[in-house]
Amino acid sequence: MIEFLTAWLASLPGFMTPLLLASVGLIMCERVGVLNLGIEGVMALGAMTGAVVALAGYGPWPALAAGAVVGVVISIPFAIAVIVFRAPQIPAGLALVAIGIGTSEAVGRDAAHKPFAGLEAVALPEALINLPIIGRMLFQQDSVVLLALLIAAVSAFVLYRTHHGLRLRAVGEDPATADAAGVNVQIYQIAAVVTGSLLIGLAGAYLSVGGSQIWTEGMVAGRGWISLALVVFAQWSPVRAIFGAALFGGAEALIPRLQILGLEVPIYFLSMTPYVLTIGILILISLRGRARQVEPGFLGRPYIRQDR
Amino acid sequence: MLERITLERRANPGTVLSIATYSGALALAIVLSLAVIIAAGVPTGALFEELIVQVFFSPAGLARTLTMATPMMLAALAAALCLRLKFWNIGIEGQLLLGAIFATTVALYDIGGPLRLPLMLIASALGGALWIAAPVLLKLRLGVSEVIVTLLLSNVAFLFLQHLLFGPFGDTSHNFPTSPVFDETEKLVRFGFGDTNLGLVIALIAVAAIAVMIHRLRFGFASRFSGDNARAAQALGFNTNRIMLVSILLGGAMAGLAGGVIVSGTEFRLTQAVGVNMTFNGIVIAALARNEPLWIPLVSFCIAGLNVASATLKVFYGVSEGVVLIIQGIILLTLVTCQFVATYRVSISPAATNRGLV
Repeated sequence: MIEFLTAWLASLPGFMTPLLLASVGLIMCERVGVLNLGIEGVMALGAMTGAVVALAGYGPWPALAAGAVVGVVISIPFAIAVIVFRAPQIPAGLALVAIGIGTSEAVGRDAAHKPFAGLEAVALPEALINLPIIGRMLFQQDSVVLLALLIAAVSAFVLYRTHHGLRLRAVGEDPATADAAGVNVQIYQIAAVVTGSLLIGLAGAYLSVGGSQIWTEGMVAGRGWISLALVVFAQWSPVRAIFGAALFGGAEALIPRLQILGLEVPIYFLSMTPYVLTIGILILISLRGRARQVEPGFLGRPYIRQDR
Repeated sequence: MLERITLERRANPGTVLSIATYSGALALAIVLSLAVIIAAGVPTGALFEELIVQVFFSPAGLARTLTMATPMMLAALAAALCLRLKFWNIGIEGQLLLGAIFATTVALYDIGGPLRLPLMLIASALGGALWIAAPVLLKLRLGVSEVIVTLLLSNVAFLFLQHLLFGPFGDTSHNFPTSPVFDETEKLVRFGFGDTNLGLVIALIAVAAIAVMIHRLRFGFASRFSGDNARAAQALGFNTNRIMLVSILLGGAMAGLAGGVIVSGTEFRLTQAVGVNMTFNGIVIAALARNEPLWIPLVSFCIAGLNVASATLKVFYGVSEGVVLIIQGIILLTLVTCQFVATYRVSISPAATNRGLV
């Protein structure tokens, strides 16, 4: 039992980190009113880019950076479409999914199924790692795990404790009022979507460079969609997203552990649990009626000054 | 420059501007798509031959295009029926898979005797409707976003399919994850023109039936009204919830039927490839057809042609299948972005007080 707990907890941060980065990225977008359904495609492209750069021998950090940058590049047409041209956000986001997944398949064909050297765990004293149960979870992790937690904390600070954060939230909540107060709505939206896409691209790159150290088509496997639900669960707060990511990542991390135990549950039903859990949590949130209250007021709608 | 630009919503864009916007967007999308195909390594001289002649004017190509267009029409109906009520059905693949699974169940367990084939198709429609029932009820009762639920249920459906193929439905005579091949009585009639089969007629009948429903029946009028302005419809005594429920279930049924037509018309067994990319195909076709059922056959034909061409391009020029996905993304993004021209009037005012594009 202790062995099982130790192994499960040790694998949890690896599953939690991409979800956390992606959902903090989404929170940035949604806080300015932009629903970025493209996340699944941007993550796919980030994962592929990270793998290609790592396979070329540039090392894990340039690989992660490349994934993040490509995440921004691919999101620029989407940002221009929905922010400048006020395109409906759901179909524009879906188009981004197709472009992202399509590009990752077309460009990454030769990089698929080739293992490479990815991120290593930070070297810490054996004594710490050998602590019972929590040793490996806390002290045998790569540095992106810590970086993701820092990013969540910094994002929360920026959103709630700075002038820019206040303006950013105002843009998503009530752009007319923000506009009247002299905030340049479109500039804030573009800045937030670019920052968010950077984190989403990084989340994708971490999947290949940090997690599996190999890239295969379809490896994002709905984690983008799960992050969308995670944002609702976190009530658009980066700090709550940490707990959400731990919960969803923990459930996901349980699957390979239970398989090793040789549990009698059929494997494909076991693999359904993250998706079913996500739907269940969405239902619970709706039953409590909290989501509507805290959702950014202008989420998914185009703003023009005429509406003021 | 940007200093003086203001936006205004047009009350009514008018027919000429709407058509001009649509054609302009289409032209731009085609130019961008050709650029992608050329960048992927197809020689410019071969474009017309591969994308038009081979796909639409050679007998073998035409047969393949018509066969592929068949389930696409039904998937597009599924998207359009939902979109008309502003319900984003992003789980067409899931409903399609359930339809395919239900039809296969009827076939493998030899249910229904002489009525087996019609029963398979009815079962597939029921399966699709069943898979969309949860998202639509959750949206109506609890206000849960249908976007996320339909997406996630697609993943659940695919895992369920894998469970069946690697388990109870698996064909034990070989190691590939497929069901056993259906009996002759469980296959739709072929026309002797490639793989084209009765499914094509079924899809066209479905298109006609839904067009009649939307344009000629009272329910269609109510649903159009309800889709345009739910609040006004409610105020006038229409039961908007019931209209939404019926329309969306019908949409799910169409997606399920697409699955039924695939397994009984072309594949003759359940495989993992059933329904691949159908959500996106359906939504792109519905967007291009502007949710008008009567335009769906033509648009499906063109998009099916693109998919058929991609198979050839893959073999002869080594072009990845991802390129089709990129092109469809480009078409959708161009279409919704260019809608800007018809929706807003841009005026450049001399007043220097406005900042940015507001």
